This record gives sequence, C-alpha cells and structure tokens, in this order.
Amino acid sequence: MELSDTQIIERTLGGEPDAFNMLVRRWERQIYGLTLRMLGRDEEAKDATQETFLSAYRNLPKFRGEAKFSSWIYRIALNICNTKLRSRSKFAVSLDEQRETTGFELAADLEDLGSEIQREQITRHVRRALQGLPFEMRQVIIMKEYEGLKFSEIAEVLGIPLSTVKTRMYTGLSELRKRLEHLREAM
Amino acid sequence: MSGEEMNTQNNCNMHEALMSYLYDESTPDEKLRVETHLTDCAACKQEFHAFERVRGMLQQWQLDDSPVVRIVTEQGRGKRSILAVLKELISVTPIWAKALGAVAMAMLVLAVLGTDVSIGRGGVSLHADLLRRNRAVEPANAGGQQNSMSSDRASIEQIRAEMKSLVNQLVADSGRDQKERIKAELVSLQSELQNTHSADLAKVISRIQEQQTRLKTIERDIDRREGLDLTDILFSEVSKPAERSTAGGD
Repeated sequence: MELSDTQIIERTLGGEPDAFNMLVRRWERQIYGLTLRMLGRDEEAKDATQETFLSAYRNLPKFRGEAKFSSWIYRIALNICNTKLRSRSKFAVSLDEQRETTGFELAADLEDLGSEIQREQITRHVRRALQGLPFEMRQVIIMKEYEGLKFSEIAEVLGIPLSTVKTRMYTGLSELRKRLEHLREAM
Repeated sequence: MSGEEMNTQNNCNMHEALMSYLYDESTPDEKLRVETHLTDCAACKQEFHAFERVRGMLQQWQLDDSPVVRIVTEQGRGKRSILAVLKELISVTPIWAKALGAVAMAMLVLAVLGTDVSIGRGGVSLHADLLRRNRAVEPANAGGQQNSMSSDRASIEQIRAEMKSLVNQLVADSGRDQKERIKAELVSLQSELQNTHSADLAKVISRIQEQQTRLKTIERDIDRREGLDLTDILFSEVSKPAERSTAGGD
C-alpha cells in the first residue's frame, strides 16, 4: 500500500531521512510544472524546484500537519518564485507596455499553418499572456488550470479567503480574455 | 426572454458564482442560480463562453515531457559512503587536478615499492625493489645510520649533478638544433630569392631586347620616311582611292 504524505513525513522525522525522497519523487513534477509556468524559464524553474524541496526538508520539523503537505510545499514553491521574480523585476515591463510592444498578434496566415505549429503559436501567446499577469492572478490561474487544485485548496495554499481566490481568478481570466481574444479564430 | 430584452450590462455581481460554475465547483443551488441567470443575461453568457475559450487556450500549454529534476536531498548525503563521496569529488575535479593527483599517486606507489629512479644518458630507468635487497644493509647502530645518510646524500648529489649535466646538454642540443634549422631555412630562402631574382632578371632582359628590336624597327621606319619627299607621300595617298575606284569598276 502506498504511504500517504503524512506517513512519509512521520518516517522522515522518525529517523528515516531517505523516506523524504519518496515525497520528492511524488511531487517534483507538479512543483516543476508550477515553477516553470510561474517563471517561464526552464533553468530557473529547475533551480526553484530544487530550492523548494531543500527548503521543505529543512523546515520539515516545523510542518504541523494542520494543512496538507501539498498545500505547504506549493506555498514554499510560490514564495521562491516570488523571490526570483522580484529579483528580476527591474527588467519587467508593465502590462500595457507589453501589449503595445509585443502585440500578441497572430500571423496573418495562421489558418494555413499546420495544427502543430498553430498549437505552438497559441502556447507561445498563452505563455506570454500569463507572464504578463500580476503575480497574484497568475499563481491562482496556474494552480487552478494546471495543478487542478480546488478553490478551497488554493485559498489554503495562499492563506487568503475563498472569495478573494475567486475574484483573482475572475480578474485574471478577464485579463487573459482581452489578451487572447484575437486567437479565437485560430482555435 | 428575447435577446433584446436580456441584460447586456455586466454588473450582475455573479463573478464568484460564475467561477465556481466554470470549474464545476458549484453547489446544486448555486448551479441552478447561475444557469437561470445565464439564460437571462447576455453579457454574462457571453463572458462565460469567452472564459471557456480562454480555458481551452490555456490547456494548449501542456508540458509534454517534463524533465525529472535531479533532487539530491541532504539526508541522502549523510548516508553516502566514503567511496561515493570520493567518486563525486573526482567527478567535479578539474582535469589538471586529476593529472596532478595521478602523478602524486604514482610517486607514492613507487615510493612504497622502493623503486629506484635513475636518470642517465640512456634515459630514465626505474628499478623496483620491494624487499629493498639492493639497499645498503640497515645499520645496527646510529653511526651506521649516519653513514647510510651521508651515502644517500652523496648519491642524491650525484643524481643532481647528472641531471644538471643532462639538462645542460639537452638545452645545448636544442639550441644547436634550432640554430641549424634556422641556418638551413635561411639558405633555402636565399636560394629561393635568387631563383626568383634570376627569373625576374631573365624576364626584364627579354623585355629590354624586345623593346630594342621595336626601337630599331621604328628607327628604320623613320629613316625610310625621311628619304621620301612630299610629292611621293602625297601621290601615295592620292593614288590609293584611285586604285580602289579602278578595282570597283572592274
């Protein structure tokens, strides 16, 4: 029978440090997916994933089990992403600036392109649009859309009210709608 | 209710309920409320469908094959054997340090084996003597030890002197070789230059001879022209068209 996250943590804290590897293997892909979508850069996402697990291991004795392990580790990962984004914030551009400079226009002959190329183009635009969102909205959208967390779980990860999560989700989707609406025909 | 009668202003304050409905997290009551509202409110309906499309686009970004991140946890480090640590150390050591280490290791092995290293005119020779049979018999007393030390020192001095002479010879040889090589290069360059010069000279001479021949021809031509008088020249020029017309008449 597969051990639960809590059981693995108990084993780790009880003197079986290798047990933590099970947690790493279980959650690394989700954490990597989250950090990659938050940061948009592969190498930085790998670093952030590494840092997340190291931080989790170091702080494991502080984990009380009041929240789920997944919520706890997501929060660590998001904090690390936030730090990394802040450190490069001087290079960031505002939403309006980005819209003006990069446009997000699709190629005129998009419909003629193969579906794979079309998918890649849409992915690129989605990535850019997501990267242009404020951190608070982006993290909610990523946790909801790609990590499949429930609104209540996102509220737990972020430590904010459920209504705030939904409002951020709504605002974020509205912003993405503005940015991606021109892709409608390509879909 | 017709489309015209629908509420087209998006101020229904249905944001949260709409989000729950969009992600299928509504309670049954909430679901009913949203569905009823969507049939009445064009703006919310439009927005809802737009959000569905945005979700479709977001789902296009899938990580096809997420690379597995290599995680090295700290507790794993604590459990590793000395051999594993050494292996990792070797893997991160630069090549020059590895080479240096290999040389040091080889010297250590040679020392343990009691190998004699001698460098002479015949090159470097190694002689391993694990039992140290060829070494001086271990002296039983301190005086013997001193003798052995002084003999060792003498042999070291001898080796040093031999090495010095060998190095000097090598340096001298290499210097001589270099000089000879440069000299040979110089000679070949000179001969090459000479060949080039002679070829160029031959060309110039032939050109001069050619020019001289042409000069002589011109002089001869001038002499011939000076011998003619004006009437000859005129008649020769006039007679040419007359000859041409006669030829045409034929």
